[in-house]
Amino acid sequence: MYPRWLWRSLALPGIAWLIILFVVPFYAVLGVALGTVDPILFQPVPIWNPLEWNVGWIQEALTRLAPGGIWFDVGVRTIVYVLLSLALCLLIGYPVAYYTARHAGRWKGLILILIILPLWISYMMRMLAWVNLLQADGYVNRFLVFTHVLNQPRDWLGGSASTVILALVYGYIPYLILPLFASLDRIDRSHLEAARDLGASPWSAFRTVTLPLSKTGILGGAVLITLPMFGDYYTPNIVSGSPKTSLVGNQIDLYFHGGPQPTLGAALTIILAVFLTFLMLYYLWSIHRAQRDVGAVGAL
Amino acid sequence: MTTVAESRPSEGFSTWSRLRGWLRNPWGKPRFLVLITWAYILWSIVPVLIAVQFSFNATRSRTVWDSFSWRWYWGDPVDSVWHDPTLRHALVQSFKLAGADVLIAVPIGVLLALGLARWRGRGSGVSNFIMLFPLVTPEIVMGVSLLLVFSELFTFIHTGTVAQILGHVTFSISFVVVIVRGRLFSIGRQYEEAAADLGASPFVALTRVLLPLLTPAIVASAAVVFAISADDFVISQWLSEGGPTDTVPIRIYSATRAAPLPSVNAIATIMMVSTLLIVTIGFLTWRAFTRGERRAGKAAEDIGGAFNLT
Amino acid sequence: MARGEIELSKLTKEFADVTAVDAIDLQVPAGEFFSLLGPSGCGKTTTLRMIAGFEQPTSGQILLDGTDVAYTPPHQRNVNTVFQNYALFPHLNVYDNIAFGLKRAKRPKAEIRERVGKALELVQLSGYDRRKSSQLSGGQQQRVALARALVLNPAVLLLDEPLGALDAKLRKTLQIELKALQQEVGITFLYVTHDQEEALTMSDRLAVMNGGHIEQVGAPQDVYEDPETLFVADFLGVSNLMAARIVSTATSACKVAVDGYELETRGTELDVTGEAKIVIRPERLELEAHGSPPGQNRVPGMIERVVYVGSTIQVIVRAATGESLQALVQNTGAGIPWEQGTPVQLHLPADALRVLPSGIGDAPSLKGEEQVEEGAAAS
Repeated sequence: MYPRWLWRSLALPGIAWLIILFVVPFYAVLGVALGTVDPILFQPVPIWNPLEWNVGWIQEALTRLAPGGIWFDVGVRTIVYVLLSLALCLLIGYPVAYYTARHAGRWKGLILILIILPLWISYMMRMLAWVNLLQADGYVNRFLVFTHVLNQPRDWLGGSASTVILALVYGYIPYLILPLFASLDRIDRSHLEAARDLGASPWSAFRTVTLPLSKTGILGGAVLITLPMFGDYYTPNIVSGSPKTSLVGNQIDLYFHGGPQPTLGAALTIILAVFLTFLMLYYLWSIHRAQRDVGAVGAL
Repeated sequence: MTTVAESRPSEGFSTWSRLRGWLRNPWGKPRFLVLITWAYILWSIVPVLIAVQFSFNATRSRTVWDSFSWRWYWGDPVDSVWHDPTLRHALVQSFKLAGADVLIAVPIGVLLALGLARWRGRGSGVSNFIMLFPLVTPEIVMGVSLLLVFSELFTFIHTGTVAQILGHVTFSISFVVVIVRGRLFSIGRQYEEAAADLGASPFVALTRVLLPLLTPAIVASAAVVFAISADDFVISQWLSEGGPTDTVPIRIYSATRAAPLPSVNAIATIMMVSTLLIVTIGFLTWRAFTRGERRAGKAAEDIGGAFNLT
Repeated sequence: MARGEIELSKLTKEFADVTAVDAIDLQVPAGEFFSLLGPSGCGKTTTLRMIAGFEQPTSGQILLDGTDVAYTPPHQRNVNTVFQNYALFPHLNVYDNIAFGLKRAKRPKAEIRERVGKALELVQLSGYDRRKSSQLSGGQQQRVALARALVLNPAVLLLDEPLGALDAKLRKTLQIELKALQQEVGITFLYVTHDQEEALTMSDRLAVMNGGHIEQVGAPQDVYEDPETLFVADFLGVSNLMAARIVSTATSACKVAVDGYELETRGTELDVTGEAKIVIRPERLELEAHGSPPGQNRVPGMIERVVYVGSTIQVIVRAATGESLQALVQNTGAGIPWEQGTPVQLHLPADALRVLPSGIGDAPSLKGEEQVEEGAAAS
C-alpha cells in the first residue's frame, strides 16, 4: 500500500537528530575522559581517535573511588542512600499502589488523580516546599516542639543524611507508584478468587498470587527511579548544603562547575554510566519486550 | 471454640462482632491500607499546598503566616515576580524553552513514531534502540555529554538558549514517540486500508485519515513535552550561561539555599499552575477525541502502557 | 461486457515461514454471490486481501474483467471491501463516511448528496447521516460499511466475515438482507467466512479452502451432497464417515465392502481403489424397525443415544460394522419412537452414499462421536 522507502524517510529526521545530539555527545564524553589535560591552561584536550585514547584519567578516577581513595565514601554513600530510598519507596509505595488498584472502589478515580498529580508538579517546587517546612521556624519544627517530641528546633537542613534520604523518597516515590499501580491493576481478580477457592488465606493469596504477578511492576518501577537517583546532585544540594551528604552526582557537578577539572568529571561520568549500563539495558529490554508484546513494535 | 460460642450466646450484631467481621472480611478493605494511602496522599500534596499558600503571604517570611496578599506576584515594587527582572526573565525563559520544545519535538517525534512503527528491514532495530536510550539515561550523564559536545566539538553553539532548546528537544522526542506509537497501535491499519479501498492515495490516507486519528496522541504528547520541559532542571542548568537564560527551576534551586523571599514560592506556583492547566487540557482533549472509541480507563492504560509502566 | 468477473490464475502468497495461498485457480462469473469457506488459516482472508490490493501476491494473476490487477494499488482498483470490524472512520459521521470515496473521486457536491442518500436508503438507514459511528449498533455499523462500499458502484464487493461480530439472531437476519441486497444490486459479491451454514445459505457457488488450496468449488447443494474430498465432507455438516474397501467403481455405481457387508454407492469419477471412505449425511440415513425385511444396503445396529433438539431428533446408532452413525429424524410431533439400547435396522440408500479417497490417520469411530457433539451444538 505504501512505498517501501516511506517509513524510513519519516524516521530520518528524528534519528538524525538523536544521533547528532545524543550519540555523538556520548562520544564527546569519551573523547574528553580518555583525553589529556593541557598542563598550562588546565583545559581538557579531547582525543578523538580511539587508538590514541589515554586511560590515565579513568584510572585516576577509579583509584579515587576505590577503598582508600578520596571518593570512596562518596561512592558508598551514594549506593547506601539510593538503596535506602528505594526500600522506603517500596515500603510506602506498594501498599498505596495495592490499595488503589484493588480496594479503592469508587474512590479509585480520585485517588489515581491525586497520585499522578505530583508527577506534574515541578520537582523543584516539591523540594522547595520541604525546605520551607524544615526551616528553623518552619512548621515541622514548630509541630515537633509543640508536641514535645523535641525540646528545641532541630537543624534539618544542615547536612543530615536522613533529610536527604527522605527528600529523595519524597521526590521519586510517585515514579514508583505509577508503574506499580499499573501492574497491580492488571491482575485479574479471578486469579485471586481461584486461589481463595483453592484454600488460600488472604495473606497467602497475596503472597503466592499478587506478589509474583506484580514483580515486573516492582522491577520496572525500581529501575525507573534508581537510574536518576544515582545521578542526583541537586537534592542533596537543596536540603543539605554540606559535603557530608555529597553524592557521586555532586562530585561530577563539582568538577565541571566548581573546579578546573572537566576531564576528571568526564571520567567519573563514564564510570557512572558503565555502572548504570546494566540497569539501563535491563530497562530498555523490558520496554522493548512490553512494546513488542503489545504489538507496537514491528507491527502494522 | 465451643466455650466462646457458649459465653456469647445471644450477643446479636454487637459492635464487637461487627468490628471483628470488618477486620476479618476477606474482601473488605483492610483498614491499614486505607490509612496509609490517604496519609501518603496528604504527605505528598499538603507541603506543596502550604508552599502555594505562603506565596500569598503578606510578610517576607516563608514560614510564618501573616495575611493574604498579592505582594509577591505584583504588589511589591522591587521583589515581586512582576517587578523583579531575574524572576520575570526566568519565567519567560521557561515558557520560551517549553514552547520551542513542543514546536520542534512533537513534529519530529510524530514522524519518528510513524517511521519506527512500520519500518521493516535493516536499521529499524538499531533506530528503535537509539530512540529508547534517552528515556533511560540519567540526566546528569546527558547534561555532561551535551556540555562537552558544545564546548569541544560543536563549538559554534555556545551555552545559552539555543543550546538549552537543543537539549530539551533531545530528551523530549522519545516521549512523543512512545505516546504516539501506543495510539498508532490501538488504531491499527484498518482505517488506512479502508481509505485506500475507497480510492484514497497513500498520501491522502496518511494525512486525511491517519493523522486526524492520531490527534489525541499528538495533543497529549505536546502537553507532556511542555510539562517535562518546564520541570527540567539538570539540562537547563548545564547548558545555561547564567542570568537571563536561567529557568524557573534554576531560580528556585539557587534561591533555596540563600534566604529566599516568598516570591520564589510565587514563581513556582505560577509555573505549576500553567503546567497543570496544559496537562489537563491535553488529557481532556484525549478523552474527548476517544470518547466513542473506548472506555475511559483504557486511555490511562494506553499512556501508561506506552511508557512500559507495568 | 461482463462486469465483475474475477479470475484467479495460479495465485500464490508466501510469507516468511508459511505459504498462505498455494497457486489457486478460480473463476467467479459476474453477478454471482460467491463464498470462500474454510477454517482459520486456510488462506481465504489472504486471498481476499490480495484481490482487494492490501497484499501483493508472490506470483500469479488476478484478472478483473480480463485485466490483471495483481500489482495495481488498492485505491486504483474498482473493487471495494467491507471489513470485518467495519473500519468506519471514527472522526467522520455516517454521511462523511459514505461520501469518502466519492470525495476522493472528486464528484460534485450535488451528486454526492444524491448518491449517499440513495445508499442510505438501500441499507435502510436514511436519517442516520449525522450520527457518529460510535453511536450506532453493530448491525447498523455493518450497514454503513456496506453503503460506503456500494455507493462507489464497484464491479466486485469483497466481504471479510462481516457478520462475525454480531449475535446469532442478528446474523441470520442480516444474511437474508445481504443476499437480497446482492440480488438487487446485481454485482459480484465475494464473501469470506468460516461458518459453513452461512456459506450454504447465501451463496450461489462456494469454494472450500484448506491449507492454501481449494478443495472443491460448486453450488451449495453440489458441495454438500457430493463432497469430493474427505475435508469437504467433514467441514460441511456432519459427515458419518465409514472406512471401506473398494470392490468395484464405475461412473454409474460403486460397490464397497464394509466389515463383511457389501454396499452399493453412488457412481464416482474419482479413481479410487483399495481402502477408501464412504460418507452419508445424517438426514439421508433411514431407520427401520428391528426385524424389517433385510435388503440391499441394510445394516443392523443398536441405538446408543437419542438427542432431542427441538425441530429434529438426533439418533446415534452403533452399526454392526462398528461405527457410530448419526441419523437426523424430523420431529413430527408423534413422539420419539427410538429408545436407547434397542436394536434397529439401518438403511443407507445407495444414492445417498458417496465414495471418497481415504484420508490419512483418522479413526472413524472417533469421528462419529465428534460429529455427534458438533451436530448437537450446531442445531
